[in-house]
Parts: sequence; structure tokens; C-alpha cells
Amino acid sequence: MRKLNSIAALTTVLIATPAVADVSYERLVNASSEPQSWLTYSGTFRSERYSPLEQVNTENVADLKVIWAYQMQAPTHAGAGLVETTPLVADGVMYITEPPSTVTALDVRTGKRLWTWSPEMPEDVLHIGFPMVNRGVALLDDAVYVGTLDAHLVALDAATGAVRWDVEVADNKIGFALTLAPLAIDGKIIVGVSGAEAGVRGFVDAYDSATGERMWRFYTIPAPGEPGSETWQGDAWQTGGGSTWLTGSFDPELDLLYWTVGNPAPDWNGDLRPGDNLYSCSIIALDPDTGELRWHFQFTPHDTHDWDANQIPVLFDAEWHGEERKIVALANRNAFYYLLDRETGEFLHGNEYSKQTWAAGLDENGRPIVLPDTEPTYEGNLVWPSLQGATNWFSPSYNPETQQFFVATRLMGAIYYKADVEYEEGQPFLGGGGQALSGDDASGAIRALDVLTGRQQWEFMLHSPPWAGVMATAGGLVFGGSNEGNVFALDAATGKPLWDFQAGGAVRTNPMAYAHDGKQRIVTTAGSTLFVFGLE
Amino acid sequence: MRSATLPVLFLSLLALPVAAQSPLDELDSEDLVEGERLFRVHCARCHGIDGAGGEGSNLARSRLKYAPDDEALIELIGEGIPGTGMPAIWTLDADQALRVAGYVRTLGRLEEEEMPGDPLRGAEIYHAAGGCPACHIVDGAGIGIGPELTDVGDRRGVEYLRQSLIAPADAQSQTMGYQDYLTVRLQTAVGRIEGLRINEDEFSVQVRDMSGVVHSFRKDELREYEKVFSHSLMPGYGAVLSQQDVDDVVSYMMSLRSED
Repeated sequence: MRKLNSIAALTTVLIATPAVADVSYERLVNASSEPQSWLTYSGTFRSERYSPLEQVNTENVADLKVIWAYQMQAPTHAGAGLVETTPLVADGVMYITEPPSTVTALDVRTGKRLWTWSPEMPEDVLHIGFPMVNRGVALLDDAVYVGTLDAHLVALDAATGAVRWDVEVADNKIGFALTLAPLAIDGKIIVGVSGAEAGVRGFVDAYDSATGERMWRFYTIPAPGEPGSETWQGDAWQTGGGSTWLTGSFDPELDLLYWTVGNPAPDWNGDLRPGDNLYSCSIIALDPDTGELRWHFQFTPHDTHDWDANQIPVLFDAEWHGEERKIVALANRNAFYYLLDRETGEFLHGNEYSKQTWAAGLDENGRPIVLPDTEPTYEGNLVWPSLQGATNWFSPSYNPETQQFFVATRLMGAIYYKADVEYEEGQPFLGGGGQALSGDDASGAIRALDVLTGRQQWEFMLHSPPWAGVMATAGGLVFGGSNEGNVFALDAATGKPLWDFQAGGAVRTNPMAYAHDGKQRIVTTAGSTLFVFGLE
Repeated sequence: MRSATLPVLFLSLLALPVAAQSPLDELDSEDLVEGERLFRVHCARCHGIDGAGGEGSNLARSRLKYAPDDEALIELIGEGIPGTGMPAIWTLDADQALRVAGYVRTLGRLEEEEMPGDPLRGAEIYHAAGGCPACHIVDGAGIGIGPELTDVGDRRGVEYLRQSLIAPADAQSQTMGYQDYLTVRLQTAVGRIEGLRINEDEFSVQVRDMSGVVHSFRKDELREYEKVFSHSLMPGYGAVLSQQDVDDVVSYMMSLRSED
């Protein structure tokens, strides 16, 4: 009898403080039904970055305060100071990454560290064309998955941080790196790579979540003879870029994976790679079991402005001209907002959502009508948006209740230069550069768009072009952050600021939300500190 | 105060022709051309094709915050700057880093220019008729409403200095694209304030008024907030000073150099 009692007591304790994630694929599919958790990079497979929690709302958000903060550990590598992680929360534990590729598990109640893991990384790790950042982890079953700057994919035991397996995805010595949060689906971990500024040939990979064995690879730059290769000439495809450095979306019903592809290489000298350069600056729909391409849509054919399409594809369903359609929405770095049929890739709609001077518009197939004299030149050519784009990797948010699409927008032009360049292994392969208009000549805005028309409903102006994403909540709020260190909540109906907090460092990540002990928490980072906000 | 300034002035003048030893002294013009090519490949994406800044800081100036001397500049190219976006550039070998450093130094180097007037007389005008210490600090003396001028000779040439005296609104400097000493006019619930923007974010602005007092406002409390870009709170001295006076003051400014 005493023995039974003690077992019962033990069980109770275990349930009260599980502190071990067990995130099944079914939980990931149904992530929106457990708003107390945040199980995948964009919140759900549909990448809405929307929290159904409503305890913090327009009436009480003014009372939001810091509940706890976590200061990141000193980075092991010079230059690795920027924090772009989206924390995941499951079963009482928050999983974050710290630059450059450290994973840390925190107690969601107090912020106290439970474990931390840092990879051994070469001093001379290459990261050509981007800072030494990491955007977060993936959770599946009882493991945590992280991509590292030196292009490894590592599975860690969720309870202890012990390494389960570690595979080299690609060779960092020629410029490959992993900065994105992996995407976990049914028994597979999907990753993409950075490296187009070093002239890599990009790809998307799937790995067996249990063993780390590679299941398939899809190259984003086709080899001669493959479909799409007609958009390349000579050997340019071998160094054609097309990196895949941002987490994609997934539709379990259609069984389609949506991934976005970055710029062709070299960035600014298009003379070296005549043609449309598929599948650069595109969204691709892949069969998750085989990696086979089902359809593609290229936003910026033959890009010469570094307008990677690595933005978050947001999935939603709606009536479109009297017909129920499954749609993917994407606010592109090239300043256009797109709606595509996500079963077929058919172009449905596109409109300018931010200032641009390079295209007269889009034709009926969604192809840009490019204006003359907008390419980079040896003397320099002013074009909007800047090379960092009208938006960038930081996430938009979609509120399915109000059909609003929120996007942090960069209002900035740049003088684009072309330069001569030859490919050298492990060296920058850029072919020019840009001089962005900055300071008083640039600004930013959080914009609310009607998801179906792309029409702007309101904007909240920012002092400078942002590097931080947004999150809408069922409390009628949109959370965001600024380079000037402001964390803020806007009224989703009007854009009016209802709360703000000066965090003392630039905000460079996406907000997320979770709940613990029935209390809603809002999380963001600023500088090297992670802040958790709540009402009490 | 004048007697304190003059010996410093003489020291500065004496220091002018003395060049400190630097590993960059060995570079020739071909090295600098190669340095420019490497800069465009490795640095221009953040620092701009002409080094004037972008995501990275403006390198086209004589003094760099993290590189007080050439050794420090070479070192930080190889090692990066912890806690900032500046990485260690491991893809450059030591000779290449030297050439890049040499090129970066040319971006902010002022050509040696002849002084148009008499710096000693200029110093007198600066302190007396010009009344400049009412708004500027030199070697710790004066009131810091406008920019400190202790080493302005390192950074500015004849034309810029002359223009800043005659038409200050046309000679405004920038930091990361933001106009320094931007005039702002604010209407609050209790009155009107004109001053210089010290800092600003989405929700607040900090302003120094002409008596040196710092004010901080929430933007939503302001009835009006105007940034006056084509304006300087410094008066133009073209009508007050003779051509000769202006040249003398410019020469005094040119003589204000850091010791190295």
C-alpha cells in the first residue's frame, strides 16, 4: 500500500513538471489547438505566426510588464552578436538558440537554464553574405533539431541536450551554412542552406528524424537536361546560388512542402548568368516523401538586386471568385505581395505593398514588367527597394479571424553597383554591391493588408527599416519591435500603439506567445536579451 | 583660457609633419588598387561600395571608433568585433588584410591642404568676436551644444570648414545616414521648443535646447514635431566676419589635430 502511494505521488510530480518535450507529429499538425505551446518556427505548419491566446488584449495590454529575462551567453565567435531566434515552447520548456549555433533549454516559468549545448565550430567558419545567426530549432518527439553555421544538422535529446546524431549537410569550406530553424514533419527533418553569396548550388534536404540519414535532396538550380535548365547557359548553374535559408511551410492534406529560394549568383552582375535562372527567387512545392518538384513560381526572373524570395509562405483557405481555393500568400522582398493557388502554383493576384521603382507592375501570369535602366551599373543606379528588400526573412503574421496579413516593411532604396567578378571557391561571389539610403532617408512601417486584395488597411511608421517580424493574437493585437529597441503592441483594427517598452537593444527577431499556469506570455529578444512579458 | 590654448596650438602645428610608423606605410599604389578590389568583394556588402556605410558603419572618415590606429584596423579585419555585426574576415590572408586596411584608410584621408590664413589670429577671433566657445568645446573648454572641435582638423578640409562658417546649413554631417545636430521644432502642451535632436525612437525624442538643457518627450504628447533638414541652429558668419577673418578661423580649425 505504501509502495503504491509513493508511485502515485511520483506520477503526480512527473505530470506537474514534465520538463521533457514529447512533440508528436500529430501535435505539430494540430498545433493551433494547443495555443499554450509554440511547437514550430512559425507557430503552425501554415506559418501564420498567430497566437489564439486572448488573455492579453486591447483592453489590458497597457499593463504588460517583464516577467523574466534571459541574457544570452557571450558568443564564442567574434561577430556573432545578433539574435534572430524564435523560441519554441513545449511541455514547460522553452528551446532557444544563441549565436552562433548554441541551443539552450529554459524553464518557462522562471527562465532558469536547464541545459545548453554548443557545437565545436572551426574558428574560421565561413559565413559569406550574412551574419553569424541562427533562427531557432525544430521539435519532434523527444528530440531537438538544430542547424549549425558550419552546415551540420544535429539532433539533441530534448531532456538533456545530449547529441543523438550529427550529420554534415554540406561543406562549409565552400560557403554552405545553416542559419534557419529546421522544419519537422512526419519522421523527417527538412532543412535548406545559406551560401548564394559564395556561389553555392542551393538545395533542400530531408533527413530521417531518428537516424539522420538523408532521404532526399532537391537542387534549386537544375543541372543540364533537367526541367528549368533551359533558363541557364553554360556552366553558370554550377555556381548559381538559389539558397534555401528560411523555414518553409507544409500542407499535410495536400502533402506538399512549400519552400522559398534565394538569389542567383553572382548577385549583382547578371551578365554572367543570362536567362531567368530558375528556381532562384521562387517558391517551390515539393513532395515531402521524394523531394520531387510539383510546381514552382518565380517572383523575380533573372534577379540582379539580391531579392531572395526567402520570406515566409503563409497558407490559408478562402473563397476566390466564387470558388473555395487553397492559397499561399507571400510578401516578397521585391515589394510585391502575391497570392498563388497552392495546389497548382497558379498566380491569382499580385500588388505592390511597398515603394518600388523597378517594375511597372505584374502581367497576368504574375511576371514583373521590368522598367528599363533599373539594373545595377558600374556607375551606380538608384532603385527601390534596397538590396535588403521591402521586407526580408523576418516573419509576417496572418490573423485568420479577421483575414488580415501584417508585414514589417522596409522603406529604403539603394544605389546598385555592378562589378566584374570571377568565381573562386570559398570566396564572396557578388559582382557588385549596394549603397543603401539610410538614416533620415529611410524608414519602415508595420502594414496591415487585406489578405485577399493586398490592399493596405493601416500602417504604423517606424523610425528605421525594421529587422524584426510581427505576431498577431486573438486579443486583437499585433506585436512587433524596432531597431531602436522598442517592443510594441498595436491595435490590429487601427494600427494604433497600445503599449511599448524600451528594451535597450535592437529587436531582430520574431515575437511568439505561449501560456503557462494559465498566464499568457509574449516573448521577443532585444540586443542579446530574451524578454518574456505578461500581465502578472 | 586663451593662454592655455596657444601652447596646444603650437604643439599641434609642430606635430603636423611627423608621421607615425605604420605597417601601412609600405603599401604602394598597386597594393591600394588591389585593396579596393578586395574591399568591394569582402566589405562593400555591409559598408557600401564607397565605404560610406550601410548595414555596416561609415568607414570614410579619418578616425574609426574601433580602429584608433592602423594596427588595430588590421587586427579587427582578421578578428572581427565581438558583439557587433563585424565578423572576422578569415578569407583574407595577412597581405590582403593589409591592403584592405590601406584602402580603408584612404577613404577618410584628407589631402594635406595649405592654410588660407593665420591660425593664431583665427584662434583670437574664435574666442572673442566669434563667440564660438558658447556652443563648441575645444580641448575641454567651451559649451557643448554644437559639435566638439578638438580634432576637427583631422576630419575636415578647407572648403567644408569655410562653408560651415558661412552657410552652416549646407555643411551638415551625418552618422549612419542620420543628420547630426538636426534642428527640431516641437510644440508641447505648454510651449514651443527649438533645439537639436540627440536621439529618437518610435515613441520618444530627446532634444537639447540652445541653453544646453536636455528634454525628453513621448511623441504622442507632442502637438507638433518638425524636423528641419535644410537648417542649422548655428548662425552663418558670412555677414559678421570679413573674408580674411573667415580664412583665419578656418586655419585655426585646421590646426586642431589629434596628437598622432
